[in-house]
Amino acid sequence: MVKYVRQLQFLLFLLPILAIYSLFTIYPLIKSFFLSFTNFDGYTKAYDFVGLKNYVRIFVDDAITSAISYTLFFTFGKAILVTVLAIPLAMILDQKFLTRNIHRAIFFFPSIPSGLLLAYIWGFILAPISSGVLNTVLRELFNIGPQPWLADPLLAKLSTIVVATWAITGWHAVLYLAFLQSIPKDYYEAASIDGANRLQQIRFITIPLLAPAMTVSVMLLLTGGLKVFEIPFALTKGGPGYETYSITQVIVQRGLSETQYGLASAMSIVFFLIVLAIAVFQVTVMQRREQGLQ
Amino acid sequence: MKKTSLLLLITVLCLSVVLAACGSNNKTSNTGNTSNEGSSNNATKGENEPKPVKLSILAWNNEKEMKPVIDGFKAKYPHITFDFQFVPPVTDYIAKLQTMLLSDTAPDIFMIAAENRNEIMDGGYALDLTDEPFMSVMLDSNKSMVSKDGRTYAFSQSGWAGGLFYNKELFKEAGITQLPQTWDEFIEACLKLKEIGVIPLYDKMTDITIIHSALFGSNVLSKDPTFDEKLFKGEATFAEGWTEVLTMWKEGLIDNEILTPDMIGMTSDQLMNEFALGKVAMFPGGPWNIGPVEEMNPDLEFEIMSIPGKEPGNNYYNGAPGVGFAVNNKTKNKDEALLFLEYMSTQEGLKQFEQGTGGIITAHGYESEVHPAYEPAYRDGLMASKIYLPMVSWNRHQEALRVQFLVSFQDIAVGKITPEQATASLDNKLKEMDNK
Repeated sequence: MVKYVRQLQFLLFLLPILAIYSLFTIYPLIKSFFLSFTNFDGYTKAYDFVGLKNYVRIFVDDAITSAISYTLFFTFGKAILVTVLAIPLAMILDQKFLTRNIHRAIFFFPSIPSGLLLAYIWGFILAPISSGVLNTVLRELFNIGPQPWLADPLLAKLSTIVVATWAITGWHAVLYLAFLQSIPKDYYEAASIDGANRLQQIRFITIPLLAPAMTVSVMLLLTGGLKVFEIPFALTKGGPGYETYSITQVIVQRGLSETQYGLASAMSIVFFLIVLAIAVFQVTVMQRREQGLQ
Repeated sequence: MKKTSLLLLITVLCLSVVLAACGSNNKTSNTGNTSNEGSSNNATKGENEPKPVKLSILAWNNEKEMKPVIDGFKAKYPHITFDFQFVPPVTDYIAKLQTMLLSDTAPDIFMIAAENRNEIMDGGYALDLTDEPFMSVMLDSNKSMVSKDGRTYAFSQSGWAGGLFYNKELFKEAGITQLPQTWDEFIEACLKLKEIGVIPLYDKMTDITIIHSALFGSNVLSKDPTFDEKLFKGEATFAEGWTEVLTMWKEGLIDNEILTPDMIGMTSDQLMNEFALGKVAMFPGGPWNIGPVEEMNPDLEFEIMSIPGKEPGNNYYNGAPGVGFAVNNKTKNKDEALLFLEYMSTQEGLKQFEQGTGGIITAHGYESEVHPAYEPAYRDGLMASKIYLPMVSWNRHQEALRVQFLVSFQDIAVGKITPEQATASLDNKLKEMDNK
């Protein structure tokens, strides 16, 4: 009885957040699912059921097929780049040096302003014409002619990944830093007594013990990457053609701009399932890896 | 046990306080309203004084642009105040307004634009203004965008035309003494500029461009003004109307590398700045560019020109009526909202709107003073009705078609598809949208 009441107390404390979560996440999700079977246009409240028609249309929409391939490319490209850069950065920031705190702040800073703002600023740097900042630097220093950073299909994709990586690497480095600091120093001492060099210490102590951090960081990178919208939108508006359309941009485009809420809802549901599948798969695999390493 | 029940009690109390706070809040605001109305009804301030009203407006012009006209109105009707909300055009504005309309929280006055006109008028969200006396000020050419079945749903008092701004000095240097009268002459002029090492033209290509619209006007509309009507009745196709335009655009500008795909990522400001600095001879723009260009380079000699068609004498600009001010069909402040529109239609209101927005007034009995550099577009474009904008002229699914159009010509620019494939994709899109 006592236990039951105690649990009830805890549950009561969860009520407010449950109410908010239900109202702003669960309810819209259920509503989207419902609308995905209709031809709701976003304006008139009278709409008809169209069955699975919207789901069929997703797979013949050339924008969405292009968007899925770009979004996956962006997500995995960014996740790999950030992970490869953030771990060494975290190790450097873990060292003792005079400007350590300032450096931590500097690397963390780009993750604070909105991605939209950062991307607009990068738009000036990557401007394709000769007066673009990067093109000017390349011309002055290496005498390289102007490069279409945001207009060539491949370069545009890479540019968006680079900007996104630049913006978020510091944040993930701080995440790794927190886990780094929780690794007991004794392990390193013991290892050095046993004659392990710095590289071996990293290989056999640091990396395995950072596995839980990597699980969290990669999951955040993957889900965040799949939901990407503002950076490609601000840099390229999805162009050239559909080359840098993200899945979310297509959903916004089809739903809000073209007033096809039914179709956009169906896309959101499929998108939700894709993100869910990838996230579950990634967490399971990486948790298994954690157990294996430890 | 005692302790736990106490905790439980506290939790419940806390929750109820929160809920009660919400409840009482609503109540007080309600009573606040009623007492307000009550006080004015009970004539505490005197019988003749009209009751204070707050008009809500969701504007697409920002506060600075709307300030003169709102201030003028408030000076005349001191009992009316404004709840002014600004959302930048186009997508953000439309999305916000749409949400507000659907949830019955739309403001008293909102805008009808090319991009949302069908949905607003079909949905019955805007008050029918056709028989309001002040509507007589509105030009017929402005009415078409905001009318359906002969009824007009918004008041629009302005218009704009866009064309190509050219740098007179660079033209002279390249030996171009006369403005091109045909598309071939235009391409020739571009190549002459290229020869002397001047970039002839910048175009950011992130929307249906001014060149596309105007070229369609020159080639197709000049022969058949009803082409778009036929297109949306199924009597004509995009392939018939647009293939030639896109082919001319591709062969003239892309194949000659006058426009290059690397321009796709440019911003409007970059185009304008490069032009103002004399680094490029032409750029597509409209009246909104003149002030900033002059500010950046007061010595620059420039003027706007039209885009010539295949045959001489068919020069067009791209352009459209300005957005229309509509009154919410469900507004509680109908009289005051109409008063505001009426004020905007007066000479004083028109003048203030012109001052604030820098727009060009196209209303009966009002002489708009335009910048000399803009004179050709005003005279030969706006006033001669030689303007065209697909978004205004296309009868339905404008947004879906616009995106398809822009993706298609970007693909042409990077050499991925041909003009024929582009227009076929537009015809398919229209079919797809009609059968959705």
